[in-house]
Amino acid sequence: MQVSPPRSLGELFLGFLSIGARSFGGVMPWAHRVMVEERRWMTEADFAETIGLCQFLPGPNIGNASIVVGKRWFGVRGSLVAFLGLFALPFVWVLALFALYADFAATNPVLRAVVTGVGAAGAGLFIGTAIKLGRVLARRPAALALIAACFVAAGVARMSLFIVLPIALVLAYACARKGLL
Amino acid sequence: MILLELTLYFMLLSLISVAGMPSILPELQRYVVDVKGWISPEEFIQIFAVGQAAPGPNILITSLIGWKVAGLGGALAALAAMCGPAAVLAWWVAEAWERFKDKPWRIAAQRAMSPVVVALILSGGFILATPGAPDWRLWLIAAASATGMLATKVSPLWFLAAGGAIGGFLLS
Repeated sequence: MQVSPPRSLGELFLGFLSIGARSFGGVMPWAHRVMVEERRWMTEADFAETIGLCQFLPGPNIGNASIVVGKRWFGVRGSLVAFLGLFALPFVWVLALFALYADFAATNPVLRAVVTGVGAAGAGLFIGTAIKLGRVLARRPAALALIAACFVAAGVARMSLFIVLPIALVLAYACARKGLL
Repeated sequence: MILLELTLYFMLLSLISVAGMPSILPELQRYVVDVKGWISPEEFIQIFAVGQAAPGPNILITSLIGWKVAGLGGALAALAAMCGPAAVLAWWVAEAWERFKDKPWRIAAQRAMSPVVVALILSGGFILATPGAPDWRLWLIAAASATGMLATKVSPLWFLAAGGAIGGFLLS
């Protein structure tokens, strides 16, 4: 496949703007469509590798991806332009939607109930995602023990992540080095 | 003052947001609802709902929290604080990290992350579905949407819409 990186900052901005503008129901599929299929900035393999890397780093995956690919083509300016393009429209939309919601919700209990229902369904999607990702790990007792301990600490006992995360990562890393994960 | 506090806290959170927004959701809820009381548990789930339903990166729910706490300045500061430190890190380490792709310590680190991230995503879902006292109606909706997501391949937006419809019936 012939790939051609963006030739200008303007093109980079418009590409990321169109990712942000259309990203209903998840940004990743749209990032793939724009960068690999429509604009052919990068190959399939390149995209998968970049996203894999960004999932590992802290921060929003797609936000990191905009920083990494922006830097690759235009340095610091590229990172900034790609990031701003990505967030410009979604930022306005989410605030507008929330302002609209807050306006109506104050006097409308049914609307509040609907939106709370949406939130509960979103919570369910998180639980579903955790189960989907966890299935792969289920054959490893050490992984299950870590998941259970970490869930009790962060989810049930509601301990601070600043305490839970370092301990969990150190334990998990030790297990991984011993071949238990 | 609140704006400064929010910004500094989000900057710290940015650096531990392994795998993105889902894994910091438990901590976010703990801090802004339980510790600070800036937002009520019901508002938190509604903010989350709007953030999920709107297009765009889901980290924008932190902007909604900023907006709620300190207006437009809060929304902008929250987004910048949540993404900035992580972005700087990505900018510096992404390529170096790629070079260590085959090193045993990097492979172990990658494996170590998975169970922790799974547990945090699970915690986030559990906490959202349990604002305050356990409510069987919220759990029912969450369980139904989790099951639907695992059993089918349709867009997640459908489950959000169905959750809204059931919520309108059961919760009002």
